[in-house]
Amino acid sequence: MTVALDSNNFIALADIALQNEDLQHAIGDGTRTAYYRRLDTMFAHSDEHGEYMRGMAAEAKRRALRHLPDLLEKAERNLRQNGFQVEWAEDADHANQLVLDIARRHQARTVAKSKSMLSEELGTNHALEAAGLRVVETDLGEYIIQLNDETPSHIVGPAMHKTKAEIRDIFVRELGMEPTDDAEAMVAYARKMLRDEFLSADMGISGANFLIAETGSIGLVMNEGNGRMCTSLPRVHIALVGIEKVVDTVEDYAMLTQVLPSSSTGQKMTVYTNIINGPRRTDETDGPEHVYVILVDNGRSDIYATEYAEALACIRCGACQNACPVYRSTGGHAYGWVYGGPIGAVLTPLMVGLENAAPLPHASSLCGSCKQVCPVDIDLPRMLLDLRWELVQRGESKAGWDLAMKMWAIGMTSPARFALGGRAARAGQYLMGDYLPGVLGNWTKHRDFPDFAPKSFRQLWRERRRERA
Amino acid sequence: MNARDRILGKLRRVQAPFADVAPIVERRRMIPLGEMTPELQLERFIAESQAQGCLVYRLDANSAVEQMMEIIAGDNAVLSWDECELPLERLHDILQSLDVSIAAPDDSGVRVGVTGVTAALAATGSLVLEGGAGRYRGPSLLPDVHIALMRVEQLLPDLESWQQLQQRDAYPAFTSASSTTMVTGPSKTADIGHQLVKGAHGPREVHIVILE
Repeated sequence: MTVALDSNNFIALADIALQNEDLQHAIGDGTRTAYYRRLDTMFAHSDEHGEYMRGMAAEAKRRALRHLPDLLEKAERNLRQNGFQVEWAEDADHANQLVLDIARRHQARTVAKSKSMLSEELGTNHALEAAGLRVVETDLGEYIIQLNDETPSHIVGPAMHKTKAEIRDIFVRELGMEPTDDAEAMVAYARKMLRDEFLSADMGISGANFLIAETGSIGLVMNEGNGRMCTSLPRVHIALVGIEKVVDTVEDYAMLTQVLPSSSTGQKMTVYTNIINGPRRTDETDGPEHVYVILVDNGRSDIYATEYAEALACIRCGACQNACPVYRSTGGHAYGWVYGGPIGAVLTPLMVGLENAAPLPHASSLCGSCKQVCPVDIDLPRMLLDLRWELVQRGESKAGWDLAMKMWAIGMTSPARFALGGRAARAGQYLMGDYLPGVLGNWTKHRDFPDFAPKSFRQLWRERRRERA
Repeated sequence: MNARDRILGKLRRVQAPFADVAPIVERRRMIPLGEMTPELQLERFIAESQAQGCLVYRLDANSAVEQMMEIIAGDNAVLSWDECELPLERLHDILQSLDVSIAAPDDSGVRVGVTGVTAALAATGSLVLEGGAGRYRGPSLLPDVHIALMRVEQLLPDLESWQQLQQRDAYPAFTSASSTTMVTGPSKTADIGHQLVKGAHGPREVHIVILE
């Protein structure tokens, strides 16, 4: 696997993000805007209807997961009927090899790629470049971070962490653009550069938002139109599709393809809602001649067998990232792999191993916002707690933490020791003021320590009983 | 055993999750419109598509051609769906008589593209463009300006209504054409400093001409 993995370094990476003023500004702005747009759209009719939309989406995805193997077979049958060529890949290396084989079969040298989180997970770009192919990301956000050799920091807005000035500097440095602070001029410049790439590409690669089993179709949502270009202009199109993307019926799709943008960017529909049914038909003169679907497992069937199966219902809308106080402070790169935010804190340990992402289940205050906004009602806080429990079972919690918890247990299991502890804490605060010593000082550096009440509840209770007596 | 059988085998060996999730009994529209007269529905469509940045006109056939010529603004070629797929009769002949020729549908150097629609959705202000012979992808994708011609009768309440018509007819837009696209407003991006910019890769202007 060629995707860098640095999730055990979460604390240090988060620290870097917290010191980065540009990132703080950009992520704060981007996440809050999306958060409020979602509220405006999902709950435009009524709170009750917004919750009903979540309920319908949650049911459709769970029903699809319950029948996952059957629906995958049904989808495969109907995809073939529609003229797709269907391949199956167990892991990243296997999937990338299949993409390379297809490229060789069709003598493809250049690839125009539309946004796909799965391809980030697979490291597809690196695999293709290592084999000598030229790969260009065509979603504007992906293009920016590809030029700057970064990974996406947000599921929906890969360059959400970048300010306009940073993007200007990247375009000037990497593309030789005349410096400008006009966002429209920058978009026009990128449009022109990328138009040439679309027209000359031998092959297009896309992901899929939905795989419709009933008809054997792929559903894509996008605003820029680059996905339509990648799936229309090159003579070969490959769609990388995670096996959890399958939904049963067109009716389910028609509902979900509205819930996704409502929850993600607060749009009722994206600018382009694209349905792809295979290669050009005999009576059509445009569209690719060959269309492949690669159904990718890459750890999903392992998750399917655990109590974390619900995480497979995720439709990658990014709402949990926009709502999460931790993500809003750190951005996505701190999580050290492909997926950031609450869903990333769950998926990353499940996909790369808990021992390789041990800090992530702790990268949450368990405030519950992620579950509240999730359009398919994934119980992310419960999963984060379960992952913490697994860490403790494996003995991977810190020794100091264990000691502190044992002390706590000793204090809490005897009334006399509890009272003594309370008096000691009050005395300690009197002596030290608002600042805790040592490592605990990290907490009081940015916060006031709450004042203890001058008398404990037990003291007040005793006095009250004395007065009554 | 191949990859397919190994993956499906693994999925089948475990207890399928979510056995206790109750099915949805009442399926609601994602955007409740309630009962609406055709005129109110049309007004809703116009308001929604304008909110997405489309320019909308309600015209008769003659004024429609005049309006188109104004948008074409002296260009000598446009991209277009085949004439029989457009709701204005003999449009290509008329355009040619006004010195506007029809370019190859994949010509990326043309500024204006003309299409019909196969349906329009009031709740979201969307245009449904089903693929198929003569209904090319290029005209609604490659140019800077997209002109969509539609008849009032093509308007449906919402995506769910279109899905139901598709279901009745065995899903032609999902099986007998290579692609179907719903267009809701001009192409846009907010990837540069979270500032909304129109015309990212597709058309930056979408003109909807409703023929009455």
